[in-house]
Amino acid sequence: MFKYLMLAGLALFLPGLYALGYSIFEGPSAWMVDSRTFWGTPISLFVFWIGLAHAGTLLSAIFLALEIKLDRRTALIAELSTLVCLVFAGIFPLMHLGVVENFYMVMPLLDARGNFANVGSPLVWDFCCIAVYALLSLVFFMTHLKTREIPALDKYRKPMAWLLFPLVLWVHTVVSLDFATTFVPQWRGAFFPVYFIAGAIFSGLALMNLLLCSEGYRVRLLERLQLIFSWFMCAIWVWDLMLKGSLCTSAFIFAGVLPQFRMIAVIRENKWGRIALSLSVLIGLFLERLYIVSPDFGSCAASPLNWIDWGLIAFSVGGFVLLFFGIRRYLNWKMEGAGSYFGEVDGTDLADAEQQELEKEGARGIAKPRKGFYIQPWASEEYHVLRLPLLVGFAFALVYSIWVLSQSVFANVEFSFANIVPLLYPVIALVTTVTLYVRAYFVEQAFTLSRHEKWASVIVLVLVAACAGAFFAGGSSQNSTNTIDSQSIGVDAPVSQSHARLLWNTRCATCHGVDGKFNEKFVREFYPVPQKLDVQRLDSLGTDSLVKVILNGRANMNAYAGRLTPSEALGLVNYMQTLAKQATESAKEGDNDSAR
Amino acid sequence: MTPLANSLSCLIALGCASFLWRKGSSPYRNGALLSVFLVLFSVFCYFAGDINDPTIEHYPFRMLALCLCLSTTSLSLYRRRYLVLAQSLWCWIELFGGISLYYHGIDIAWTRIAALLSMTLCSTFLSKISKEMEFCLMVFWLAVWVFF
Repeated sequence: MFKYLMLAGLALFLPGLYALGYSIFEGPSAWMVDSRTFWGTPISLFVFWIGLAHAGTLLSAIFLALEIKLDRRTALIAELSTLVCLVFAGIFPLMHLGVVENFYMVMPLLDARGNFANVGSPLVWDFCCIAVYALLSLVFFMTHLKTREIPALDKYRKPMAWLLFPLVLWVHTVVSLDFATTFVPQWRGAFFPVYFIAGAIFSGLALMNLLLCSEGYRVRLLERLQLIFSWFMCAIWVWDLMLKGSLCTSAFIFAGVLPQFRMIAVIRENKWGRIALSLSVLIGLFLERLYIVSPDFGSCAASPLNWIDWGLIAFSVGGFVLLFFGIRRYLNWKMEGAGSYFGEVDGTDLADAEQQELEKEGARGIAKPRKGFYIQPWASEEYHVLRLPLLVGFAFALVYSIWVLSQSVFANVEFSFANIVPLLYPVIALVTTVTLYVRAYFVEQAFTLSRHEKWASVIVLVLVAACAGAFFAGGSSQNSTNTIDSQSIGVDAPVSQSHARLLWNTRCATCHGVDGKFNEKFVREFYPVPQKLDVQRLDSLGTDSLVKVILNGRANMNAYAGRLTPSEALGLVNYMQTLAKQATESAKEGDNDSAR
Repeated sequence: MTPLANSLSCLIALGCASFLWRKGSSPYRNGALLSVFLVLFSVFCYFAGDINDPTIEHYPFRMLALCLCLSTTSLSLYRRRYLVLAQSLWCWIELFGGISLYYHGIDIAWTRIAALLSMTLCSTFLSKISKEMEFCLMVFWLAVWVFF
């Protein structure tokens, strides 16, 4: 079965890979882009796969934390699906950047050239949250996988589940803020965090039910939750409709109406019926993501998607099927027949397994508290395990906040504590997990690593260090094919001022602002903070140097050689000087007025 | 929203809370009720508030969070755990709703968030939750709703 699914995945993945390569080569013009939001299929796919990535760790960790029984096999499948979804979710924002090699700019750290990412930008929050979520989900999955060989590791699963519980919600909240913090009318929604989380859980449940169908069994609890979440999503859509007067009807039909057929026993009890219901939810929620990201999509009579968009969809779906079932096949011997609740079909054998577990715990001398029995506050075992690592995590987050707030680059823009709040929990969770496992390995010696695992750990650490070094050094900002550094500029005839103004407004105003004082709202939200234009600074750099900065790029500014001629660059420099003078004069007038 | 409508909204949430988590009720019943309540809160906000006011955007969800907090007092098992979780959800909605509004030029309600956060932390120390304590908690939440 898995082999056939992998072949089907490969059949989708290969043509999709071609579309991916083509779109990276061609840039954002290759795919459908909404004319109002400037976002398109890659961001829709990113939000969709990030939502699906909640299936695993969310269900597994939250169920574990809240003591809701889920069998080991289901939990492992859920955790694995999270990791595979994250791989595909991570690819699409990089594509969307257009300048893939500059992605290190979203790291919230200082680089060697003194650039500091704009930590007030939701894109930076995204990168930080998703990277930490992926790492912690991997640790959680590996811990679960290893508990059969090393039972002592079981002690760390529940504390990890409590750490992941907020993190998993945090990630999708931050994704929702990518939309909610902007000024697009369709994205107005302080309720987006809850909306996105509900959508993510809903799609995650549908994915889990679909994967369980491929495994040949079912977990009724997850099916029930899928139905309940369809009602909740419908209620949220009602509010969205009231607020904005529009609704994605196709999403409503696929993810709101069709799932109600689960109430019909003939469909519910049939495997293909269950598959159809789960697929319907996934299709509906993908259409909804597409509608949210590109509101134009809903208003077009014909589908605006081109072959690249379909190729990207095929790439992600095929890639997921191929990778998930490939790893699933490889891990077969670790998953099969391992759990006490293996193969739960209708809930009856769950009770037997639970009884067996209680007996096992009784034999080990672990007294399970009676239901409703009073437990001393802060007395749980997981709190004792987490206490010190959490303290280290909080201390680190505090130091990090002070360091970020003291960065001089933020003197240019309005910046407050609210801008860095979304970064804090991922930082706490990361440091806590590292402390927890370092202590478990070196101090408590709760587990050991085999020779191969030690080598693998060393290689991973070296790679992490190399990546950190590369981030710190920063990428080249020069366009190697079009550089003119070795030549003299050789132009003394700039383009006309009206032409320069037109160029400025189309090419430069997005970041630097129409008046040269930079577009503060846009810059504050999305990009590293650019330099302010003032007469002294422009004079100190000189005309030739400024032309070269425009053509060759510098720090976070992209190179425009090939897109602008040297005459146009010179015209832009002259125009910048005019803007800077106007700004200085208006500032002087303002000072005089206030003095009067 | 006017102070009167704001006070009325917490009474509606209080009324709805009494229907949740009844003994022996199925997840379907509770899930359906939560969805119906959300629609009810949305309709209330649509008619009682100004739909163009950005602060109304997450108002029905705040009402739902208040309703969940109030409903936890009637739970028979794991009351403290769910009480803390419901307050955390409310805090979550306030904080992240506030951050998205902050980017539109509206100040974050730090006092409300601080009050909720401190009560969430204090709730973890509650031992037996008596009838009097239940009443005090409900008064506190309603006070946070009306005054902060």
